[in-house]
Amino acid sequence: MKGFTAAFLIWTLISPSGGGTPAWPTHTACKDSNLEVLYQSCDPLQDFGFSIDQCSEHLKSNINIRFGIILREDIKELFLDASLLTGGVPFLNYSYPICEEDLPKFSFCGRRKGEQIYYAGPATNLGFEIPKGEHQVLLKLYNENHSMVACANATIICS
Amino acid sequence: MAPPVSCLLVAVLFSASCKATASSDQTCMEKEANKIYNCENLGLREIPDTLPNTTEFLEFSFNFLPAIQNTTFCRLTNLIFLDLTRCQINWIHEDTFQSHHQLDTLVLTGNPLIFMAETSLLGPRALKHLFLIQTGISNLEFIPVHNLENLESLYLGSNYISSMKFPGNFPTQNLKVLDFQNNALHFLSREDLNTLGATNLSLNLDSNDIKGMEPGAFHAKVFQSLRFGGTLDVSVLLKGLQNSTTRSLWLGTYEDTESQDLTPAMLEGLCEMSVESISLRKYRFSDLSATTFRCFTPLRELDLTATHLRELPSGIQGMNSLRKLVLNVNHFEQLCQINAASFPALTDLSIKGNLGVLDLGAGCLEKLANLRRLDLSHNGIKASDCCNLPLKGLHHLQYLNLSYAVSMGLRRQAFQESPKLEVLDLAFTHLTVMASQSPFQNLPLLQVLNLSHCLLDASNQHLLEGLGGLRQLNLQGNIFQDGSLSKTNLLQTVAGLEVLILSSCELLIIDQQAFHSLGNVTHIDLSHNSLMENSIDALGHLKGLYLNLATNSIRIIPPHLLPILSQQSTINLSHNPLDCTCSNVRFITWFRENLHKLEDVEETVCENPPSLRGVKLSEVELSCGITAVGIFFLVVFLFLFTILLIFAVKFLVRWKYQHI
Repeated sequence: MKGFTAAFLIWTLISPSGGGTPAWPTHTACKDSNLEVLYQSCDPLQDFGFSIDQCSEHLKSNINIRFGIILREDIKELFLDASLLTGGVPFLNYSYPICEEDLPKFSFCGRRKGEQIYYAGPATNLGFEIPKGEHQVLLKLYNENHSMVACANATIICS
Repeated sequence: MAPPVSCLLVAVLFSASCKATASSDQTCMEKEANKIYNCENLGLREIPDTLPNTTEFLEFSFNFLPAIQNTTFCRLTNLIFLDLTRCQINWIHEDTFQSHHQLDTLVLTGNPLIFMAETSLLGPRALKHLFLIQTGISNLEFIPVHNLENLESLYLGSNYISSMKFPGNFPTQNLKVLDFQNNALHFLSREDLNTLGATNLSLNLDSNDIKGMEPGAFHAKVFQSLRFGGTLDVSVLLKGLQNSTTRSLWLGTYEDTESQDLTPAMLEGLCEMSVESISLRKYRFSDLSATTFRCFTPLRELDLTATHLRELPSGIQGMNSLRKLVLNVNHFEQLCQINAASFPALTDLSIKGNLGVLDLGAGCLEKLANLRRLDLSHNGIKASDCCNLPLKGLHHLQYLNLSYAVSMGLRRQAFQESPKLEVLDLAFTHLTVMASQSPFQNLPLLQVLNLSHCLLDASNQHLLEGLGGLRQLNLQGNIFQDGSLSKTNLLQTVAGLEVLILSSCELLIIDQQAFHSLGNVTHIDLSHNSLMENSIDALGHLKGLYLNLATNSIRIIPPHLLPILSQQSTINLSHNPLDCTCSNVRFITWFRENLHKLEDVEETVCENPPSLRGVKLSEVELSCGITAVGIFFLVVFLFLFTILLIFAVKFLVRWKYQHI
């Protein structure tokens, strides 16, 4: 009886709550003595892989990244929305076109739903100094129909 | 140690069985009754019984079908479109689609196919579109050739194909689209191309790292379009394209591709082929001079988006055929640096998203007398007196886009140089117009005017004077004085208006007579204001409207306004603080009877009373026969009446007894 109770207890603890979406594990995008970037997929359907090559609080321009995902939508057009929060207060919202019909910036533009993508190359970012502290970043990738391609809750810890 | 382990095992089993039952409970989404169904991401292992036999469009991606055979879809014989993206299909057995005569499109993207049976695609009378993207194909012989005679598009992207050579019996003659994006094609030979029987094909070879081509591989071939995006060496390509004909040639490159700079010598090959439209997006030119364009003379369209240009060389000769020129995302400082005089026949010019502020100068486009379309949006333009000097000589201009500039001052008759304008887009450009001036005067042909978020004073009654032909007007995000659209307003001079957008204008009230001059209007958007129900009166004379009143301050719509709503064709009342008490019962009844006319019903919810807050209006049930106060008075009345009756009877009886 005791064993059954314990089993039931464990089951209730580890099984996903009814209707709730499973939380994907938190991954480390890069880690250095002063900087740590963590992220978690907020797309209920899938996880994705992401890493940054050089991890430094003096962010260089055009850093190299690696990115792997299965596309659940066509990406003839692809946009990135980023919201930066510090202490829960949003201080920057930013939208950036990655693929456009008349300007596909990257070679993966135009790939189709169901394709697996692996990108290793430059991110066309600007170089800047990351201020000390803990920052939250919400990143969303979506296509021309506003269908989600990827979603990430990231935490940047700079000490 | 053993009991906890067994407990854990039991727990895992519990959760596993629970998950399995949960996934089979989910059902497909009906998009159109009996025809279109979406069963994506449900982890299904078979076609659910709930799908009707009449299903025509089925989105079945991200399920689990390791093998498909003739029994898998046999019930759904009317299928026209079948999407099996990433269903982990390994095997496609014999006669899988035998009874699917209507099947037109089959999507097998992202499946780890091991084998397709010879007869696996037999059945459909005219299979037109086949997607075999990222299915692990390394050899074109993998695709069963039977029943592909009607194929119009074949997508083979992201595979391991290293040779474009189709098997001899492969029917390619009806192909219109052939997509080899992101494969391992490094060399194209004349023989490879000869296996393609189709003419006017659109062939996509993007991201293939083509290192060599047999000179003249494309000899005497005719294409609709050819794409070689991200190619390392353009000169190799152009040699292979000798004596070919193509309408459009796409040679762009990408951020993540290291391509060589283009030299005049590399582009020599263009002289040996016939091409109408060419794109060199994101390439960098070295030694840019007039000779770079020596072989561009027969071109009709040229796209030089993001090619790091600071200016176009002067003295380019012989580009008299060029009709369309795209110079987006470059580094011009002044419009005159494009040396427009080299392209006298141009009808379409686009310079948008310039990296740096673009100075419009004076008369820079003067020589482009045939120009019909001009896009100068997203250029950070600041012009204190626009736009007669910059547009000098553009007498035939029909479309002008100056949206997302920084600021512009407009005086009267600001577009006098281009009296044939039909579309003018000034969205998100801060416009300064002197009080009671009419900048758009003398534009009788203008049909579409976008002035959204221009920070205009929309109370200027003369603003739209001279726009007799205007059909669509967007004034979103502009402010009216006191939040009121008064009886005399700027709309009086544009009586022919069909579409009017006044959303986010901070409007509080619209005068009953404000829209009186508008007789032809069919679409009015008044969303995101603070309008109350009394503004609906202004629409009394209009019928058959699409009317958007979403996100306003409408609470109670009295019965006398309901006929005005009834005479419109579509109404959106979502996100209003609607009242769901008995004082609004006539409107709520009307709402339920007219659901077919209402848009965003799901978002049209009650605000008051608090007990019904958030409840959809379409689901509210009110019984408002007699109110509590009414019942109270009725009871009191009945009570008094009874007492009166008793007294009367008593009196009568006493009176009778006294008279016996």
